[in-house]
Amino acid sequence: MTSIKAFFQTDFQAMTASDYVGLAMTIIVFLLMAAAYLYAFHPKNREKLNSYGDIPLRDDLHERGGK
Amino acid sequence: MSNNQEDSLYNFKIVQWFTFCAVLYLLVGTFVGLYIAAELAWPFLNFDIPYLTFGRLRPLHTNAVIFAFGGCVLMASSHYIVQRTCAVRIWSDKLAWFTFTTWNIVIVSAVITLPLGLTQGKEYAELEWPIDILIAVSWLSYLFNFVMTLANRKVSHIYVANWFFLAMMVMITYLHVVNSLAIPVGLFKSYSIFSGVHDAMIQWWYGHNAVGFFLTAGFLGIMYYFIPKQAGRPIFSYRLSVVHFWALTFGYVWLGSHHLQYTALPDWAGSLGAAVSLAMIIPSWGGAVNGLFTLSGAWHKLRTDYVLRFLIMAVAFYAMSTFEGPLMSIRTVNALSHYTDWTIGHVHSGALGWVAMVGIGAIYHLIPVLWNTKMYSENLINVHFWMATIGTVIYICAMWVSGIMQGLMWRAYDEQGSLLYTFAESVEAMHPYYALRVLGGLVFVGGVALMFFNMIMTIKNSGQTAEATEGGR
Repeated sequence: MTSIKAFFQTDFQAMTASDYVGLAMTIIVFLLMAAAYLYAFHPKNREKLNSYGDIPLRDDLHERGGK
Repeated sequence: MSNNQEDSLYNFKIVQWFTFCAVLYLLVGTFVGLYIAAELAWPFLNFDIPYLTFGRLRPLHTNAVIFAFGGCVLMASSHYIVQRTCAVRIWSDKLAWFTFTTWNIVIVSAVITLPLGLTQGKEYAELEWPIDILIAVSWLSYLFNFVMTLANRKVSHIYVANWFFLAMMVMITYLHVVNSLAIPVGLFKSYSIFSGVHDAMIQWWYGHNAVGFFLTAGFLGIMYYFIPKQAGRPIFSYRLSVVHFWALTFGYVWLGSHHLQYTALPDWAGSLGAAVSLAMIIPSWGGAVNGLFTLSGAWHKLRTDYVLRFLIMAVAFYAMSTFEGPLMSIRTVNALSHYTDWTIGHVHSGALGWVAMVGIGAIYHLIPVLWNTKMYSENLINVHFWMATIGTVIYICAMWVSGIMQGLMWRAYDEQGSLLYTFAESVEAMHPYYALRVLGGLVFVGGVALMFFNMIMTIKNSGQTAEATEGGR
């Protein structure tokens, strides 16, 4: 067994319910984060997302037409 | 639209009070820090009075600068930003004043109990259980009011600064409640429900995320609003800010274990913390680049805009600290750096360079807006900027040299395997650097005193201007 294999070896038999809950949550959150990355970097969302970048410059009341 | 008309829609009174308290607590907190730095260089300064000893005043310093100054500047800026970016008044004025009052009671309680030696002994979570409960109540009122204001917003999009504030509020609730779980044995004495290495791991899960969410996510919220506002330019890449937010929120919670390298914590846990720490350089630098590049095409503004200088210098320190931290988490580097003054230098490059400077920049932006006047002296802001920068650089350089020297002296062996230096010899070698740290701290605190004076004079003049305006009507 190579040292890399040894490093990643996991004793699934020894994992408790808490371990599995933590593992599941980690994988789900990781996938959600990956989805957020894909959404943010997809070219079709570029214009829409970057249009929010000047919100601090538009927040004076008179620039909202008094709304 | 005049300020009076804005006042009728927004609650800026609460922002004014949090802003005033933030500057006051910055002055007090940094002064206590200066005093205990002087005690380390010249120990006679504790005068054998228990209330003045380093062990009791050090938590007072950290609580004052983190929770009193940091908390008030976060609450001031988040109450301001959420109202303006959502075009709606804060959901409940009464709840906002409840948050303000209870938060200040917590601070006064810390000022009383910590010098008396009443402490849970957990770093950055020293306060005893009755105060912990009050912190939770105050923080939840802040969170609830913020969420309800977001829910009532008049604009469809929630600006990224509010996302950072929200992440901070949710995570700090979770961290504070879990880490403070304790069994009281008296009004001012309790014991953690965790023990041994579990207690250590919970403590540093809390400790590092206090840095990650209170002092980083919250202050990034400040950065993402005030840099575009002050520069008059949109954020460089909003897409990058979205990625920055999710990567930081996902990544930071893993890092705490890197504080426990070479302890009873399993090696894999420390290595995992270090690996994720290294990965965190990418989003952190992405955020720093986003802040800096917002100035693209407007760099000339730094010549004349002293407030912008604070904000941009803060981002530079943020980039530096977020590179240095992961570096120090690597086990090989940690073997040299841990328990030395290098850690103190690293913490202060983040605390003085990033947190204080971005907070100070935000406050200098807010004061003229909130009191509807001009700053009493622009030149004093410029002097403050240079004092803050020079003071910080002196401080952190002294601690870097001192820390690396400490680490090298502690691990130096002769041919027989005996230690070359006694611990006392290493302490003696630190003295010039401890004196230099006092100098750096003195310069920084001097700058804060100028800021306090500038703020008081500005508020005073705004009152006179208002009276003159009313008199002329």
